[in-house]
Amino acid sequence: MRSRPGGVLPGFGLAMGFTLLYLTLIVFIPLSTLVLKTATLSWGQFWETVASPRTLAACRLSFGAAFAAAAINAVFGLLVAWVLERYRFPGRLIVDGLVDLPFALPTAVAGIALTTLYAGNGWLGRFLEPRGIKVAYTPLGVVVALTFVGLPFVVRTVQPVLAELDRATEEAAATLGAGRGQVFVRVILPELVPATATGFTLAFARALGEYGSVIFIAGNMPMRSEITPLLIMIKLEQYDYAGATAIALVFLAASASLLLLINLISRRARAVPAG
Amino acid sequence: MSIVLDRLFKRFDNHLVVNDVSLEVADGEFFVLLGPSGSGKSTVLRLIAGLTEIDQGNVRLHGRDVTRLAPQRRGVGLVFQHYALFRHMSVAENIEFALRIRRVAPQERRRRREELLDLVGLSGLGGRSPRQLSGGQQQRVALARALARQPEVLLLDEPFGALDARIRTELRRTIRAIQRELKITTIFVTHDQEEAFELADRLGVMNFGRLLEIGPPQELYLRPQTEFVATFLGTANLMVGEVTPEGVRLGPVQFPLSTRGGVAGVPRRVQVLFRPEDVAVKTSEDALAWPLLGEGVVEASDFVGSYERLRLRLPKIAGVRPIAPTAPFGGDFILIEASRSQHQARRFPLQAGDSAWVGVRRVHALTHPGLSLLVMAGGSQEELAALDLGGRIASLAHARLTILGGGGDEAEVRSRLQQARERLGGGLAALETAPGGEDPLEAVVRETTRQHYDLLVQGMPARNGAEVAERSLQAGDHHLLLVPAPGPVPSKLLICVAVGEPGKEDVVFAGRLARHLNAQATILTVLPAPADPRERERAKRFLAAGSRTLSLLEGDHDLVVVGAPLVAHRGRATLDRLVRGLLGDLRDHPVLIVRAHEVLA
Repeated sequence: MRSRPGGVLPGFGLAMGFTLLYLTLIVFIPLSTLVLKTATLSWGQFWETVASPRTLAACRLSFGAAFAAAAINAVFGLLVAWVLERYRFPGRLIVDGLVDLPFALPTAVAGIALTTLYAGNGWLGRFLEPRGIKVAYTPLGVVVALTFVGLPFVVRTVQPVLAELDRATEEAAATLGAGRGQVFVRVILPELVPATATGFTLAFARALGEYGSVIFIAGNMPMRSEITPLLIMIKLEQYDYAGATAIALVFLAASASLLLLINLISRRARAVPAG
Repeated sequence: MSIVLDRLFKRFDNHLVVNDVSLEVADGEFFVLLGPSGSGKSTVLRLIAGLTEIDQGNVRLHGRDVTRLAPQRRGVGLVFQHYALFRHMSVAENIEFALRIRRVAPQERRRRREELLDLVGLSGLGGRSPRQLSGGQQQRVALARALARQPEVLLLDEPFGALDARIRTELRRTIRAIQRELKITTIFVTHDQEEAFELADRLGVMNFGRLLEIGPPQELYLRPQTEFVATFLGTANLMVGEVTPEGVRLGPVQFPLSTRGGVAGVPRRVQVLFRPEDVAVKTSEDALAWPLLGEGVVEASDFVGSYERLRLRLPKIAGVRPIAPTAPFGGDFILIEASRSQHQARRFPLQAGDSAWVGVRRVHALTHPGLSLLVMAGGSQEELAALDLGGRIASLAHARLTILGGGGDEAEVRSRLQQARERLGGGLAALETAPGGEDPLEAVVRETTRQHYDLLVQGMPARNGAEVAERSLQAGDHHLLLVPAPGPVPSKLLICVAVGEPGKEDVVFAGRLARHLNAQATILTVLPAPADPRERERAKRFLAAGSRTLSLLEGDHDLVVVGAPLVAHRGRATLDRLVRGLLGDLRDHPVLIVRAHEVLA
């Protein structure tokens, strides 16, 4: 691998060296302690911790809810980005600013606010629960919280791409006979897929690691509404450091490979189509 | 007729972008819309394609009224300046797009696609992505895509705007050949006149939303009817002259009328056009067989390939006022653009500073003398109002406008002129500014001797309106618009014919102005004023009372037009007492004083 000549930053050697050093200090060393700590366990103990029904249930919930939340965000984030980019309405800038709020808000605040809303006696829960929809203290609540924290990712990745789209292509499609629906599906959507996929990945990654907002609304019942990060915390509180790191390691490996997979898929989608 | 546009109007934010455009394009015709950027030509195309909603007027394609039809159903092929290809599709998919939408069978689609790729000269590139193609190739794909479903009409919006010169010429030929082969009715929009000349069967020139003239390229170049077309197509020498029964007179020089244009008859003012190639330049007087303009000095000679371009400076000729090339401010000479073949240039070499005799082989008289306005822009309330109204009238009438700085210290004048320039930049045929100096009247005199002006716009001071008017009228041979206070552009004119009958110059000029402003006019006739002072007094009362009554009955008249019989009184022009009285009465209306020449003469 050689550097491309003419870059603005100093040579490949220096840049790569700095990158590696930085990654090592910030990412690799902390992660390696994870491995080292886990290594104090025997294979049997490791397996017991990792394959316990409680751990598996937590992982299932974490990945399932994160995926569901990211999927919801992919659809609605796209919609929000579309409205913000394509329409001019009073208060547009305010709405645009509100989108970033989940970034800025301490996640615990978000969790408490959502719990208050969706609890049996909350503003929304009051109407939902009589109809048999329980949100707070259920997996559904987890999805709601994760959707909340993930929204800005999709909106902010799709918005600039949407702004850059050449309106003339839509007009060209219209003069070629394509109706509104066809223009959207055949012309606009394909251009937005890569950005939406990136947004989805980011929202998914964020949701996997989310802790603060979830623990309030989830109720944290083992086997039912307990997410993996919380399980790790519980292990830590029980001074089971090795057990905690074991779960963390597996969770980390799973997340990393999933993200890698998604990135590969979206890269393929972005590639130039062949004849 | 394939394309019929019937009085199209389009406004954006209250700004008329397309202003009363009517056009008929015949079957299989290649029509080019030419105009500077911002002239509304692309908007016209978008109105035809249905991409922009029509405010007023009709579009008919092959006899079918499509004014309210969606773009999908108009059967129009459109090619955009920046290609607008679908980047996520291959070239083949791009071309097949329209067919796919119409659910054409795959086999037929493939056959058509190959045919089109062949037509635009891209055989074998169907599998590529648009990104892998050069700009010229991308535009060929866009053309093929637009032609895929055999549209009735092909519209091209500056299709070569983003391409370099060599590719342009190449693509131009391709498009012309394809258009001939398919016999498809085409409208091509461009700002490049070379392109327009080469491609067009017929040409339309647009400026500021108006379609000024339509005709074959040669016709428009040789015999333009408007000042804008004369100066926009090619290089022009344009002067104010006079039509006489014998031909055209430019100051003391008489030309036989070599091209038709305007009715000969009574002497009247016209704009006289001659092209650089119509100018004969010789080193001695005897060598010239053409009407002579005089002896001048070569200012610049440029080698431009196949010919030589000369710019000559001639001393002032009495009665000749140039419009183009514009005389520099304060200069008392005339500039003439000439061109010579390289053969001639070698035989009689001329360098800057050499003197040469200048003759003109042929001239053409424009039938529409464009309006030309002079505004005095001082700092007072009414003078600012005058600047504002004058500017808006000029932009509506597409006039030439010169702003004189007026009094005040230098920095203030400069900033005022700069502001006016920024505000009025659009909508004018030309805009000049000049410092006014200490005495504004002197500046007016200086300016009107340099160029002809139809109208001087000036603030009407609260007192001595009549005296100011008299002095301003004396400064030149222009009409005078007095503005007392800020107000809207006049939409109703009250024309008071104080002297003579309707049809005389006041009505004619007011009518011209009304047409430009889209205004309604009411003509109020006053009996000719005989010497009898009582009769005169009555007429005056009638006039004043009439205007007051009319403003009560019909709402405001925003502009009062009076014919001004200028009476020479001890060597000074004096306004008739009638008009003086009227000026005293009409404190809140702008007043247009139209000079009645015959009285002064």
